[in-house]
This record gives sequence, C-alpha cells and structure tokens, in this order.
Amino acid sequence: MAIIEVMQMKKSFGSLDVLKDVSFDIQKNEVIAVIGPSGSGKSTMLRSLVHLEEVNGGSIKVQDQYLVKDGAYSSQSQIKAITSRMGMVFQHFNLFPHLTVQENLGLAPKYVKKQTKEEVRKNGAALLQKVGLLDKADVYPGNLSGGQKQRVAIARALMMNPDIMLFDEPTSALDPELTGEVLAVIKQLAEEHMTMVIVTHEMSFAKEVADRIIFMDNGQVVESGTPDQIFNQPKMERTREFLNRATR
Amino acid sequence: MSMDYIIQIGKPMLEGAQTTILLFFIAILASIPLGFMFTLMVRSAIKPLAWFANAYIYVFRGTPLLLQMLFFCFGLPVLPVIGDYLVLDRFVAACLAFALNYAAYFAEIFRGGLLAIDKGQYEASKVLGLNRFQTTTKVILPQMFRVALPAVSNESITLVKDTALLYAVAVPELLHFAYTAVNRDATIMPFFVAGVIYLLMTLVLTVFFKFLERRFKYE
Repeated sequence: MAIIEVMQMKKSFGSLDVLKDVSFDIQKNEVIAVIGPSGSGKSTMLRSLVHLEEVNGGSIKVQDQYLVKDGAYSSQSQIKAITSRMGMVFQHFNLFPHLTVQENLGLAPKYVKKQTKEEVRKNGAALLQKVGLLDKADVYPGNLSGGQKQRVAIARALMMNPDIMLFDEPTSALDPELTGEVLAVIKQLAEEHMTMVIVTHEMSFAKEVADRIIFMDNGQVVESGTPDQIFNQPKMERTREFLNRATR
Repeated sequence: MSMDYIIQIGKPMLEGAQTTILLFFIAILASIPLGFMFTLMVRSAIKPLAWFANAYIYVFRGTPLLLQMLFFCFGLPVLPVIGDYLVLDRFVAACLAFALNYAAYFAEIFRGGLLAIDKGQYEASKVLGLNRFQTTTKVILPQMFRVALPAVSNESITLVKDTALLYAVAVPELLHFAYTAVNRDATIMPFFVAGVIYLLMTLVLTVFFKFLERRFKYE
C-alpha cells in the first residue's frame, strides 16, 4: 500500500515552473532515491511533502490523508498531524547552535510530545548510541565535524519517531571523506526498513541502498525504476545523458 | 597636586556619579524591553503597527538626543493648553528621553540579530513540530540575543558617556561636579579624575559583556 501518493503536483516560483505534473507513489518500507541535475525540482518536491513549500496544484496524500487535494490544503491542524509523521534531514543540518547535542535531540520531544525528562534522556541516549555519538551528548554543534552534525540531525529527526524519513541532499555539504559515516547511518535505517526518500547526488549510494530510483529533470519525473533498470538500462535519453555525466 | 585634593574633589564627583549610574540603569532597563517591543512591531503583519514603529525609530534615531532631552525638559511645558500638565522633573524628563532614544537603537540591533538567523532554523523547528511561540522562545530569541550581544555592549558603553548630556539640563552629575571644580580651583585635575571614573564604569561594562559573550559562546 502506498504510504505517500503524489498526484500531478505543480509548483512555481513566480513565472518559473519548478514542478510540472509530478506524480509518484512511495510504498511502506521502501527506500527511494531521487536523482537528477541541479534545479530539476528534487528538493522542492521533497520540501513540499513536509509543507515547507506550498504547491500550486495537485494532491499529496500521506497514509490515506490528504495534505493537499487538487491544490487545496487541509486545515492547519491536519497539516500538522500529517507532517508530524515525517522526519526531515537537511543539507545544512540546521542544528540549533545554542543547544548541546542532547538538548537538540530533546527540544521537540519535550515541548511537542510532552515527554518526561527521563523518556527524553533514554531515547536520546539510545539514538546517539545508534549514530555512534553517545560521547558527544554534552557538546555544542559548533564543536562537531560536518559528518557528526548530520548524524546528530538524523538522530534528532528520529526522536520524533517518524514513519517516513526525508533526506534533502544529506551529504552535499560534507567533505568527501565525511560522507561515508552519514551514508552508513542511512543504510542502517534502510536495513531496519524505515520508509525513506533520499534526494542525493551520490550515485553509487543510491544504487546500493535504494529499492527504487526516481530520476527528475526540468520539474518532471522522467523515469523511475529499480537501480538496475535506471543505471544499467535507462529507457529515456535524458536519463542516459545525466548518468553519463554524473557517473563519469 | 596632592592626594588630599583629589580625595576632596573626588567626593562630590562620586556623588554625581550616582546620578550618572542611576540614569544608566533606568535607561538601559527601560530601553531594552521597549526596543525589543519595537523590533516585534516592525516585523508585525499588522501594517499600522509596523509603520508606527518604523516612524518612531526614524524620528528617535534621526534627531539628536540632546534635542530630545531639551524637548522633554523645556519643550513640553510650553505646549499650549496641555503644557501645564507636562512639567516634569528634569531628571525624570531626561530618563524619558534616554529610554525612548535608546529603545530606537536597540530595536535596530535586535532586528539585525533576527536577520542574522538562518532560515534553516525556522524550517528545522517547523518540521520538528514546534509551534510559533516555541520556535520564537526556544530557538530564535536565544540566538538573537547572542548575535546582538556585541552591539548591545557597544551601545551600553555609549550610554554611559551620553549621561554627561545631563549637564545641559543642569541636573548635577559627574561632569557637572568636575567642571565646577575646574572653574573654582583653576586646575585641570578634576577633568582627569572624571575621565578615570568614566573609564572605570566602562571597564566594568566591558568585563561584564565579555563575560556574557564567553558564557554564551556555545562551544
């Protein structure tokens, strides 16, 4: 069953059409990698799923509830309920610089979920253990490397116990030698069957962890299929061209 | 120049410094919250509020503090009809002028602090489900405060020195007693003593704000 359904999603910034009739489904427990050239609308598409962008048309349905139906958004409280089931990881981490790692993880559970201190501490420790940063609990983000920051950001999103995780170019701001540690955490989540949508430029990673690849170009989904289909026998000329350039 | 003389003139000057310090605290404690209120008004979606705040900041930043102080001391009482009810104690009038004037500067300092905050902070807060109030109080304001700290420090040091403007409305403060002694004793020494007292006051502020900056370094 589809956990996310996107139908004819349209989005424009002024006269620039960023998304033109984008449609796709995501199944529960599926790992989707979204690839495509810069400016193809990948990030906008992802951000629209959590209502960081408002679309101008089309529908988005998450777990059978409409976030937006034919361009009309649901009520504020419904939007909040729907988006709360999704966690998001940003390219630039967006950690709270004035809070320690532990406090970054605890802020939303404490104030949004009203969890007790003990719960927050326990969950936080477990997730920091999972991303290998338990020893950094009391450190401020300013003292972490990029890879460590991104792992904290992933743990922070997981604190809200999301059903779906969205990654917006999680390794694009990292030095090449630091991407591995972040990708390893994402891969671990994939092995645990977390439903994930990952916008990425890491082709080999996409090939390795994704169940399905979506190739976007010029605001459209050009092609989607298994990594084998997309990387080894792309049907569309545009996909071939892009992959030739990207994997050269 | 004997030590006795310095102690002799130092006593009234330190008493004058109390007025200086009193004005400083009244002005800073009133103008920081007031300034922050204007920052919020400037950013408000309610247009008339934003217009009012912008006009306020323009007027109070765009005219001399001395003019504003003279206006509150001597201008208000000569207004037709209502003037009789607006005769303020000169020190009170000065406090009013200082607080209103510095509020305009603090409003701009805090606005700058808000502008420095990356939009990713708002986005991360939203995605984590924090509401607007939580985002403002838990994420944005602490960072704004940190960004604004050096400018607030700078402004508070300026305020210490601006208190000398009280001289113009004849409220006896530090500079007043120094100048009196210079005239009376035909010596320049009291000016040096006054300078040292101002320096001591700004030193305390400098140390205090350096401490705050270190405390909120987040490293």
